[in-house]
Amino acid sequence: MKAETFHRYLLGTVSLLLAAGVWLPCVHLFFKKDPETFRCKESIAPKARELAARHLQLWTDPGLRRQELEKMRASNAEWDFMGRSFLVWSLANMGLREPASKQAYLQVMDQIIDETIKLEQEHGIYFFLMPYAKARSYDVQPARSLFLDGEIALMLAARRILEEKPEYKTQLAERIRLMVERLKHGALPIAESYPDECWTFDHAVALAAIKLADHLDGTDHEVLLRDWIAMAKQKLLHRESGLLVSSFTLRGDPLDGPEGSTIWMVAHCLQLLDEDFARDQYQRARKELGRTVCGFSYAREWPKSWNGPMDIDSGPIVPVLQISAGASGMAFTGASAFGDDAFLSSLAATLDFSAFPSRRNGRLKYCASNQVGDAALLYAAVLGPLWEAIKGQSKR
Amino acid sequence: MNSSFFQRCRRFGRAKFLTPKDFLIRAAVITGFFLIAHLAGLREYTSFLSGTVASPDMGWQQAAFFGLVYLILYFAFVLLVPILLLAALLQILFRSFLRG
Repeated sequence: MKAETFHRYLLGTVSLLLAAGVWLPCVHLFFKKDPETFRCKESIAPKARELAARHLQLWTDPGLRRQELEKMRASNAEWDFMGRSFLVWSLANMGLREPASKQAYLQVMDQIIDETIKLEQEHGIYFFLMPYAKARSYDVQPARSLFLDGEIALMLAARRILEEKPEYKTQLAERIRLMVERLKHGALPIAESYPDECWTFDHAVALAAIKLADHLDGTDHEVLLRDWIAMAKQKLLHRESGLLVSSFTLRGDPLDGPEGSTIWMVAHCLQLLDEDFARDQYQRARKELGRTVCGFSYAREWPKSWNGPMDIDSGPIVPVLQISAGASGMAFTGASAFGDDAFLSSLAATLDFSAFPSRRNGRLKYCASNQVGDAALLYAAVLGPLWEAIKGQSKR
Repeated sequence: MNSSFFQRCRRFGRAKFLTPKDFLIRAAVITGFFLIAHLAGLREYTSFLSGTVASPDMGWQQAAFFGLVYLILYFAFVLLVPILLLAALLQILFRSFLRG
Protein backbone atom coordinates (compact mmCIF):
# COMPACT_ATOMS: atom_id res chain seq x y z
CA MET A 1 0.00 0.00 0.00
CA LYS A 2 1.31 3.40 -0.96
CA ALA A 3 2.13 5.83 1.84
CA GLU A 4 -0.41 8.34 0.48
CA THR A 5 -3.21 5.73 0.52
CA PHE A 6 -2.22 4.59 3.99
CA HIS A 7 -2.35 8.17 5.31
CA ARG A 8 -5.75 8.73 3.67
CA TYR A 9 -7.19 5.57 5.23
CA LEU A 10 -5.72 6.42 8.61
CA LEU A 11 -6.97 10.01 8.55
CA GLY A 12 -10.40 8.94 7.26
CA THR A 13 -10.83 6.27 9.93
CA VAL A 14 -9.65 8.54 12.75
CA SER A 15 -12.02 11.30 11.53
CA LEU A 16 -14.96 8.89 11.43
CA LEU A 17 -14.23 7.52 14.91
CA LEU A 18 -13.83 10.99 16.38
CA ALA A 19 -16.99 12.23 14.69
CA ALA A 20 -18.92 9.22 16.03
CA GLY A 21 -17.46 9.84 19.49
CA VAL A 22 -18.69 13.42 19.37
CA TRP A 23 -22.10 12.85 17.73
CA LEU A 24 -23.48 9.70 19.35
CA PRO A 25 -23.45 10.95 22.96
CA CYS A 26 -25.07 14.22 21.77
CA VAL A 27 -28.01 12.82 19.74
CA HIS A 28 -30.30 12.57 22.79
CA LEU A 29 -29.95 16.33 23.38
CA PHE A 30 -32.01 16.92 20.23
CA PHE A 31 -34.83 14.71 21.55
CA LYS A 32 -34.73 15.32 25.28
CA LYS A 33 -37.36 17.68 26.63
CA ASP A 34 -38.58 18.77 30.01
CA PRO A 35 -40.67 15.92 31.57
CA GLU A 36 -43.49 18.48 31.91
CA THR A 37 -44.04 18.29 28.13
CA PHE A 38 -45.08 14.66 28.66
CA ARG A 39 -46.66 14.75 32.13
CA CYS A 40 -47.73 17.76 34.19
CA LYS A 41 -48.35 17.39 37.90
CA GLU A 42 -51.53 19.50 37.93
CA SER A 43 -52.85 20.04 34.40
CA ILE A 44 -52.65 18.04 31.16
CA ALA A 45 -49.29 18.10 29.37
CA PRO A 46 -49.21 19.25 25.71
CA LYS A 47 -48.21 15.82 24.43
CA ALA A 48 -50.95 14.11 26.45
CA ARG A 49 -53.48 16.52 25.00
CA GLU A 50 -52.34 15.71 21.45
CA LEU A 51 -52.43 11.96 22.10
CA ALA A 52 -55.91 12.27 23.62
CA ALA A 53 -57.13 14.30 20.63
CA ARG A 54 -56.16 11.43 18.34
CA HIS A 55 -58.02 8.89 20.51
CA LEU A 56 -61.11 11.04 20.83
CA GLN A 57 -61.12 11.33 17.04
CA LEU A 58 -61.04 7.53 16.77
CA TRP A 59 -64.14 7.28 18.97
CA THR A 60 -66.06 9.93 17.06
CA ASP A 61 -65.17 8.64 13.58
CA PRO A 62 -66.53 5.06 13.24
CA GLY A 63 -64.67 4.41 9.95
CA LEU A 64 -61.32 5.39 11.38
CA ARG A 65 -61.98 3.39 14.56
CA ARG A 66 -62.92 0.27 12.61
CA GLN A 67 -59.73 0.58 10.57
CA GLU A 68 -57.52 0.95 13.68
CA LEU A 69 -59.20 -1.89 15.55
CA GLU A 70 -58.99 -4.21 12.54
CA LYS A 71 -55.25 -3.61 12.34
CA MET A 72 -54.81 -4.59 15.97
CA ARG A 73 -57.27 -7.47 16.01
CA ALA A 74 -55.37 -9.01 13.10
CA SER A 75 -52.47 -9.50 15.54
CA ASN A 76 -54.11 -9.72 18.95
CA ALA A 77 -57.74 -9.33 20.05
CA GLU A 78 -56.52 -8.47 23.58
CA TRP A 79 -55.10 -5.18 22.25
CA ASP A 80 -58.55 -4.10 21.06
CA PHE A 81 -59.81 -4.60 24.61
CA MET A 82 -56.82 -3.10 26.42
CA GLY A 83 -56.82 -0.05 24.13
CA ARG A 84 -60.37 0.62 25.39
CA SER A 85 -59.39 0.10 29.05
CA PHE A 86 -56.35 2.37 28.95
CA LEU A 87 -58.33 5.07 27.19
CA VAL A 88 -61.19 5.00 29.73
CA TRP A 89 -58.73 5.09 32.66
CA SER A 90 -56.89 7.97 30.95
CA LEU A 91 -60.07 9.97 30.38
CA ALA A 92 -61.08 9.51 34.03
CA ASN A 93 -57.75 10.99 35.11
CA MET A 94 -58.08 13.77 32.54
CA GLY A 95 -61.58 14.61 33.74
CA LEU A 96 -60.31 14.85 37.32
CA ARG A 97 -57.46 17.09 36.14
CA GLU A 98 -59.66 19.26 33.93
CA PRO A 99 -63.26 19.41 35.25
CA ALA A 100 -64.30 21.83 32.49
CA SER A 101 -63.94 19.04 29.89
CA LYS A 102 -65.49 16.34 32.08
CA GLN A 103 -68.75 16.02 30.12
CA ALA A 104 -66.95 15.47 26.81
CA TYR A 105 -64.77 12.79 28.38
CA LEU A 106 -67.73 11.10 30.11
CA GLN A 107 -69.55 10.80 26.79
CA VAL A 108 -66.65 8.91 25.20
CA MET A 109 -66.05 6.81 28.33
CA ASP A 110 -69.70 5.67 28.39
CA GLN A 111 -69.60 4.90 24.67
CA ILE A 112 -66.52 2.72 25.12
CA ILE A 113 -67.80 0.96 28.25
CA ASP A 114 -71.24 0.23 26.76
CA GLU A 115 -69.82 -1.05 23.47
CA THR A 116 -67.23 -3.21 25.20
CA ILE A 117 -69.78 -4.84 27.52
CA LYS A 118 -72.18 -5.31 24.59
CA LEU A 119 -69.48 -7.06 22.54
CA GLU A 120 -68.59 -9.28 25.50
CA GLN A 121 -72.27 -10.19 25.99
CA GLU A 122 -72.95 -10.83 22.29
CA HIS A 123 -69.79 -12.77 21.41
CA GLY A 124 -68.72 -14.17 24.79
CA ILE A 125 -65.40 -13.80 26.60
CA TYR A 126 -63.40 -15.27 23.72
CA PHE A 127 -64.03 -12.20 21.55
CA PHE A 128 -61.32 -10.29 23.44
CA LEU A 129 -59.01 -13.22 24.16
CA MET A 130 -56.29 -14.85 22.09
CA PRO A 131 -57.36 -18.03 20.24
CA TYR A 132 -55.47 -20.39 22.56
CA ALA A 133 -58.07 -19.63 25.26
CA LYS A 134 -60.28 -22.16 23.46
CA ALA A 135 -57.61 -24.87 23.39
CA ARG A 136 -58.82 -26.31 26.71
CA SER A 137 -61.54 -25.59 29.23
CA TYR A 138 -61.21 -23.34 32.24
CA ASP A 139 -60.65 -25.18 35.52
CA VAL A 140 -63.30 -23.09 37.28
CA GLN A 141 -66.67 -23.15 35.53
CA PRO A 142 -68.50 -21.29 34.12
CA ALA A 143 -65.54 -19.86 32.19
CA ARG A 144 -64.60 -16.30 33.09
CA SER A 145 -61.43 -14.32 32.55
CA LEU A 146 -60.03 -12.11 35.31
CA PHE A 147 -58.35 -10.15 32.51
CA LEU A 148 -61.75 -9.01 31.22
CA ASP A 149 -63.57 -8.73 34.54
CA GLY A 150 -60.76 -6.78 36.20
CA GLU A 151 -60.28 -4.24 33.42
CA ILE A 152 -64.03 -3.72 32.88
CA ALA A 153 -64.48 -3.30 36.64
CA LEU A 154 -61.71 -0.71 36.73
CA MET A 155 -63.32 1.10 33.76
CA LEU A 156 -66.68 1.19 35.57
CA ALA A 157 -65.13 2.31 38.86
CA ALA A 158 -63.01 5.01 37.20
CA ARG A 159 -66.08 6.35 35.43
CA ARG A 160 -68.06 6.42 38.66
CA ILE A 161 -65.29 8.24 40.51
CA LEU A 162 -65.34 10.94 37.84
CA GLU A 163 -69.15 11.10 38.09
CA GLU A 164 -71.67 8.66 39.55
CA LYS A 165 -73.87 6.72 37.14
CA PRO A 166 -76.51 4.46 38.78
CA GLU A 167 -76.54 1.83 35.97
CA TYR A 168 -72.83 1.31 36.42
CA LYS A 169 -73.18 0.87 40.19
CA THR A 170 -75.04 -2.44 39.77
CA GLN A 171 -72.76 -3.54 36.91
CA LEU A 172 -69.65 -2.85 39.00
CA ALA A 173 -71.08 -4.62 42.04
CA GLU A 174 -71.79 -7.71 39.90
CA ARG A 175 -68.25 -7.75 38.40
CA ILE A 176 -66.73 -7.39 41.86
CA ARG A 177 -68.93 -10.18 43.21
CA LEU A 178 -67.86 -12.50 40.39
CA MET A 179 -64.16 -11.69 40.82
CA VAL A 180 -64.23 -12.06 44.60
CA GLU A 181 -66.11 -15.37 44.24
CA ARG A 182 -63.33 -16.68 41.95
CA LEU A 183 -60.55 -15.33 44.13
CA LYS A 184 -62.06 -17.11 47.13
CA HIS A 185 -62.82 -20.32 45.22
CA GLY A 186 -59.58 -22.19 45.88
CA ALA A 187 -56.99 -22.43 48.63
CA LEU A 188 -55.15 -19.41 47.19
CA PRO A 189 -56.62 -16.03 46.14
CA ILE A 190 -55.99 -16.67 42.44
CA ALA A 191 -58.29 -16.53 39.39
CA GLU A 192 -57.79 -17.57 35.78
CA SER A 193 -57.39 -15.23 32.82
CA TYR A 194 -56.84 -18.14 30.44
CA PRO A 195 -57.38 -21.83 31.28
CA ASP A 196 -55.14 -22.49 34.32
CA GLU A 197 -53.10 -19.42 33.32
CA CYS A 198 -53.19 -16.53 35.76
CA TRP A 199 -51.48 -13.17 35.27
CA THR A 200 -50.02 -10.83 37.88
CA PHE A 201 -51.01 -7.88 35.65
CA ASP A 202 -54.66 -8.97 35.67
CA HIS A 203 -54.68 -9.61 39.43
CA ALA A 204 -53.14 -6.21 40.15
CA VAL A 205 -55.74 -4.45 37.96
CA ALA A 206 -58.60 -6.51 39.46
CA LEU A 207 -57.47 -5.77 43.03
CA ALA A 208 -57.18 -2.06 42.20
CA ALA A 209 -60.76 -2.20 40.89
CA ILE A 210 -61.90 -3.91 44.11
CA LYS A 211 -60.17 -1.19 46.13
CA LEU A 212 -61.93 1.51 44.09
CA ALA A 213 -65.27 -0.28 44.50
CA ASP A 214 -64.75 -0.41 48.28
CA HIS A 215 -64.18 3.33 48.21
CA LEU A 216 -67.28 3.97 46.10
CA ASP A 217 -69.76 1.60 47.71
CA GLY A 218 -68.51 1.25 51.26
CA THR A 219 -67.77 -2.48 50.92
CA ASP A 220 -64.75 -3.98 52.65
CA HIS A 221 -62.38 -6.44 50.97
CA GLU A 222 -59.28 -5.53 52.99
CA VAL A 223 -58.76 -9.13 54.15
CA LEU A 224 -58.82 -10.44 50.58
CA LEU A 225 -56.42 -7.71 49.43
CA ARG A 226 -54.03 -8.44 52.31
CA ASP A 227 -54.23 -12.18 51.65
CA TRP A 228 -53.31 -11.65 48.01
CA ILE A 229 -50.28 -9.52 48.88
CA ALA A 230 -49.16 -12.14 51.41
CA MET A 231 -49.63 -14.94 48.86
CA ALA A 232 -47.74 -12.95 46.19
CA LYS A 233 -44.80 -12.32 48.52
CA GLN A 234 -44.70 -15.97 49.45
CA LYS A 235 -45.24 -17.67 46.07
CA LEU A 236 -44.81 -15.20 43.21
CA LEU A 237 -41.45 -13.53 43.84
CA HIS A 238 -38.64 -14.49 41.48
CA ARG A 239 -35.80 -15.59 43.74
CA GLU A 240 -32.89 -13.95 41.88
CA SER A 241 -34.43 -10.54 41.14
CA GLY A 242 -37.09 -10.24 43.86
CA LEU A 243 -39.56 -9.17 41.16
CA LEU A 244 -43.05 -10.60 40.85
CA VAL A 245 -43.33 -13.23 38.12
CA SER A 246 -45.74 -12.44 35.30
CA SER A 247 -47.86 -15.59 35.11
CA PHE A 248 -48.66 -18.65 37.21
CA THR A 249 -51.06 -21.54 37.61
CA LEU A 250 -54.10 -21.76 39.88
CA ARG A 251 -51.82 -23.49 42.41
CA GLY A 252 -49.47 -20.50 42.39
CA ASP A 253 -46.67 -22.23 40.46
CA PRO A 254 -44.84 -19.72 38.22
CA LEU A 255 -45.24 -20.19 34.46
CA ASP A 256 -42.90 -17.31 33.58
CA GLY A 257 -40.31 -15.16 35.26
CA PRO A 258 -40.63 -11.39 35.73
CA GLU A 259 -41.49 -9.42 32.58
CA GLY A 260 -41.13 -5.74 31.76
CA SER A 261 -44.45 -5.69 29.93
CA THR A 262 -46.12 -6.66 33.24
CA ILE A 263 -44.18 -5.36 36.22
CA TRP A 264 -44.41 -1.59 35.67
CA MET A 265 -48.23 -1.60 35.63
CA VAL A 266 -48.30 -4.06 38.53
CA ALA A 267 -46.14 -1.75 40.65
CA HIS A 268 -48.48 1.13 39.79
CA CYS A 269 -51.59 -0.85 40.85
CA LEU A 270 -49.85 -2.03 44.02
CA GLN A 271 -49.60 1.64 45.05
CA LEU A 272 -53.26 1.35 46.06
CA LEU A 273 -52.74 -1.85 48.03
CA ASP A 274 -49.30 -1.72 49.66
CA GLU A 275 -47.24 1.41 49.03
CA ASP A 276 -43.97 -0.02 50.39
CA PHE A 277 -44.24 -3.22 48.36
CA ALA A 278 -45.12 -1.16 45.28
CA ARG A 279 -42.06 1.07 45.65
CA ASP A 280 -39.84 -1.94 46.29
CA GLN A 281 -41.10 -3.57 43.06
CA TYR A 282 -40.59 -0.33 41.10
CA GLN A 283 -37.05 0.14 42.37
CA ARG A 284 -36.17 -3.47 41.59
CA ALA A 285 -37.69 -3.17 38.11
CA ARG A 286 -35.77 0.05 37.54
CA LYS A 287 -32.52 -1.68 38.53
CA GLU A 288 -33.13 -4.97 36.75
CA LEU A 289 -34.93 -3.79 33.61
CA GLY A 290 -34.35 -0.05 33.11
CA ARG A 291 -31.35 0.89 30.98
CA THR A 292 -29.90 4.16 29.64
CA VAL A 293 -27.51 4.25 26.68
CA CYS A 294 -26.17 7.56 25.32
CA GLY A 295 -28.95 9.45 27.12
CA PHE A 296 -31.76 7.25 25.77
CA SER A 297 -33.64 5.06 28.24
CA TYR A 298 -35.50 1.87 27.53
CA ALA A 299 -36.62 -1.27 29.33
CA ARG A 300 -35.66 -4.88 28.93
CA GLU A 301 -38.40 -7.51 28.95
CA TRP A 302 -36.50 -9.81 31.29
CA PRO A 303 -33.89 -9.35 34.02
CA LYS A 304 -30.45 -10.86 33.38
CA SER A 305 -31.31 -13.77 35.65
CA TRP A 306 -34.27 -14.87 33.52
CA ASN A 307 -34.61 -15.39 29.79
CA GLY A 308 -38.13 -15.87 28.50
CA PRO A 309 -39.39 -16.34 24.97
CA MET A 310 -40.13 -13.33 22.75
CA ASP A 311 -43.92 -13.10 22.46
CA ILE A 312 -46.83 -10.82 21.62
CA ASP A 313 -46.43 -8.95 24.96
CA SER A 314 -42.71 -8.27 24.71
CA GLY A 315 -42.88 -7.25 21.04
CA PRO A 316 -39.73 -7.60 18.94
CA ILE A 317 -36.55 -7.59 21.06
CA VAL A 318 -33.55 -5.66 19.75
CA PRO A 319 -30.60 -8.03 20.13
CA VAL A 320 -27.54 -7.16 22.27
CA LEU A 321 -29.23 -4.25 24.11
CA GLN A 322 -32.36 -6.40 24.73
CA ILE A 323 -34.67 -3.44 24.05
CA SER A 324 -38.33 -4.45 24.29
CA ALA A 325 -40.99 -2.23 22.74
CA GLY A 326 -43.68 -3.59 25.08
CA ALA A 327 -41.61 -3.24 28.25
CA SER A 328 -40.35 0.22 27.27
CA GLY A 329 -43.88 1.44 26.59
CA MET A 330 -45.11 0.20 29.97
CA ALA A 331 -42.04 1.64 31.73
CA PHE A 332 -43.62 5.09 31.17
CA THR A 333 -46.40 4.08 33.58
CA GLY A 334 -43.89 3.06 36.25
CA ALA A 335 -41.72 6.15 35.86
CA SER A 336 -44.75 8.45 35.87
CA ALA A 337 -46.45 6.73 38.84
CA PHE A 338 -43.31 6.88 40.99
CA GLY A 339 -42.31 10.41 39.98
CA ASP A 340 -39.03 9.24 38.42
CA ASP A 341 -38.59 12.33 36.23
CA ALA A 342 -35.05 11.54 35.06
CA PHE A 343 -36.11 8.10 33.75
CA LEU A 344 -39.35 9.49 32.30
CA SER A 345 -37.52 12.25 30.46
CA SER A 346 -35.01 9.79 28.94
CA LEU A 347 -37.81 7.37 28.00
CA ALA A 348 -39.65 10.23 26.29
CA ALA A 349 -36.45 11.07 24.36
CA THR A 350 -36.28 7.46 23.16
CA LEU A 351 -39.94 7.61 22.16
CA ASP A 352 -39.47 10.72 20.03
CA PHE A 353 -36.24 9.33 18.57
CA SER A 354 -37.38 5.86 17.63
CA ALA A 355 -41.19 5.59 17.66
CA PHE A 356 -41.76 8.01 14.76
CA PRO A 357 -44.22 10.62 16.03
CA SER A 358 -46.74 11.85 13.47
CA ARG A 359 -48.68 15.06 14.12
CA ARG A 360 -51.72 16.19 12.15
CA ASN A 361 -54.10 19.01 13.15
CA GLY A 362 -53.09 18.89 16.80
CA ARG A 363 -53.39 15.10 16.96
CA LEU A 364 -50.43 12.88 17.76
CA LYS A 365 -49.79 9.24 17.12
CA TYR A 366 -46.63 7.16 17.09
CA CYS A 367 -46.25 5.30 13.81
CA ALA A 368 -44.18 2.51 15.38
CA SER A 369 -46.90 1.98 17.97
CA ASN A 370 -50.61 1.16 17.65
CA GLN A 371 -53.83 2.27 19.35
CA VAL A 372 -53.22 0.26 22.53
CA GLY A 373 -49.60 1.43 22.73
CA ASP A 374 -50.59 5.06 22.34
CA ALA A 375 -53.43 4.66 24.86
CA ALA A 376 -50.98 3.18 27.40
CA LEU A 377 -48.67 6.16 26.81
CA LEU A 378 -51.59 8.52 27.30
CA TYR A 379 -52.42 6.78 30.58
CA ALA A 380 -48.82 7.21 31.75
CA ALA A 381 -49.01 10.91 30.86
CA VAL A 382 -52.17 11.62 32.89
CA LEU A 383 -52.29 9.04 35.70
CA GLY A 384 -52.38 10.20 39.28
CA PRO A 385 -55.67 11.88 40.25
CA LEU A 386 -57.67 8.62 40.26
CA TRP A 387 -55.30 6.88 42.68
CA GLU A 388 -54.95 10.08 44.73
CA ALA A 389 -58.73 10.24 45.14
CA ILE A 390 -58.66 6.82 46.80
CA LYS A 391 -55.49 7.27 48.80
CA GLY A 392 -56.65 10.67 50.07
CA GLN A 393 -59.92 9.13 51.22
CA SER A 394 -58.14 6.21 52.91
CA LYS A 395 -55.90 8.64 54.81
CA ARG A 396 -58.93 10.61 56.00
CA MET B 1 -26.65 21.22 -21.40
CA ASN B 2 -28.04 17.97 -20.03
CA SER B 3 -24.91 16.05 -20.90
CA SER B 4 -22.66 18.63 -19.24
CA PHE B 5 -24.87 18.53 -16.10
CA PHE B 6 -24.59 14.73 -15.92
CA GLN B 7 -20.87 14.90 -16.63
CA ARG B 8 -20.48 17.34 -13.76
CA CYS B 9 -22.51 15.04 -11.50
CA ARG B 10 -20.38 12.06 -12.52
CA ARG B 11 -17.18 14.01 -11.89
CA PHE B 12 -18.50 15.04 -8.48
CA GLY B 13 -19.51 11.45 -7.83
CA ARG B 14 -15.95 10.23 -8.29
CA ALA B 15 -14.13 10.51 -5.01
CA LYS B 16 -11.34 8.62 -3.38
CA PHE B 17 -12.43 6.34 -0.54
CA LEU B 18 -12.40 7.96 2.94
CA THR B 19 -11.81 11.49 1.71
CA PRO B 20 -13.99 14.47 2.75
CA LYS B 21 -15.61 14.43 -0.69
CA ASP B 22 -16.39 10.73 -0.29
CA PHE B 23 -18.05 11.41 3.08
CA LEU B 24 -20.12 14.27 1.64
CA ILE B 25 -21.32 12.16 -1.30
CA ARG B 26 -22.36 9.33 1.02
CA ALA B 27 -24.20 11.77 3.30
CA ALA B 28 -26.00 13.27 0.29
CA VAL B 29 -27.02 9.85 -1.05
CA ILE B 30 -28.40 8.72 2.35
CA THR B 31 -30.28 12.02 2.73
CA GLY B 32 -31.75 11.64 -0.77
CA PHE B 33 -32.96 8.08 -0.17
CA PHE B 34 -34.37 8.98 3.25
CA LEU B 35 -36.29 11.93 1.81
CA ILE B 36 -37.77 9.73 -0.92
CA ALA B 37 -38.85 7.11 1.65
CA HIS B 38 -40.28 9.79 3.92
CA LEU B 39 -42.24 11.51 1.15
CA ALA B 40 -43.50 8.12 -0.04
CA GLY B 41 -45.13 7.67 3.39
CA LEU B 42 -43.09 4.64 4.48
CA ARG B 43 -43.03 6.04 8.05
CA GLU B 44 -46.52 4.54 8.58
CA TYR B 45 -45.17 1.04 7.97
CA THR B 46 -42.90 1.17 11.02
CA SER B 47 -45.95 -0.09 12.93
CA PHE B 48 -44.50 -3.54 12.26
CA LEU B 49 -42.34 -2.79 15.34
CA SER B 50 -45.46 -3.13 17.50
CA GLY B 51 -46.61 -6.22 15.63
CA THR B 52 -49.30 -4.28 13.74
CA VAL B 53 -49.76 -4.19 9.98
CA ALA B 54 -50.07 -0.59 8.75
CA SER B 55 -52.71 -1.50 6.20
CA PRO B 56 -54.99 -4.55 6.55
CA ASP B 57 -55.10 -4.82 2.73
CA MET B 58 -51.35 -5.32 2.52
CA GLY B 59 -49.52 -8.52 3.38
CA TRP B 60 -47.53 -8.67 6.61
CA GLN B 61 -44.21 -9.32 4.83
CA GLN B 62 -44.59 -6.45 2.37
CA ALA B 63 -45.58 -4.01 5.13
CA ALA B 64 -42.67 -5.14 7.32
CA PHE B 65 -40.28 -4.75 4.37
CA PHE B 66 -41.37 -1.15 3.80
CA GLY B 67 -41.13 -0.45 7.53
CA LEU B 68 -37.66 -1.95 7.72
CA VAL B 69 -36.47 0.11 4.73
CA TYR B 70 -37.71 3.28 6.43
CA LEU B 71 -36.15 2.26 9.74
CA ILE B 72 -32.72 1.68 8.19
CA LEU B 73 -32.81 4.93 6.19
CA TYR B 74 -34.04 6.93 9.19
CA PHE B 75 -31.29 5.71 11.49
CA ALA B 76 -28.73 6.20 8.73
CA PHE B 77 -30.00 9.77 8.28
CA VAL B 78 -30.08 10.61 12.00
CA LEU B 79 -26.93 8.79 13.06
CA LEU B 80 -24.66 8.35 10.03
CA VAL B 81 -25.20 11.57 8.08
CA PRO B 82 -24.08 13.89 10.92
CA ILE B 83 -21.09 11.60 11.58
CA LEU B 84 -20.09 11.74 7.91
CA LEU B 85 -20.44 15.53 7.82
CA LEU B 86 -18.46 15.93 11.04
CA ALA B 87 -15.80 13.49 9.78
CA ALA B 88 -15.45 15.49 6.54
CA LEU B 89 -15.01 18.69 8.53
CA LEU B 90 -12.52 17.09 10.92
CA GLN B 91 -10.49 15.67 8.06
CA ILE B 92 -10.29 19.06 6.33
CA LEU B 93 -9.07 20.57 9.61
CA PHE B 94 -6.52 17.78 10.14
CA ARG B 95 -5.17 18.17 6.62
CA SER B 96 -4.79 21.92 6.89
CA PHE B 97 -3.11 21.44 10.28
CA LEU B 98 -0.70 18.80 8.93
CA ARG B 99 0.19 20.97 5.98
CA GLY B 100 1.14 23.62 8.48
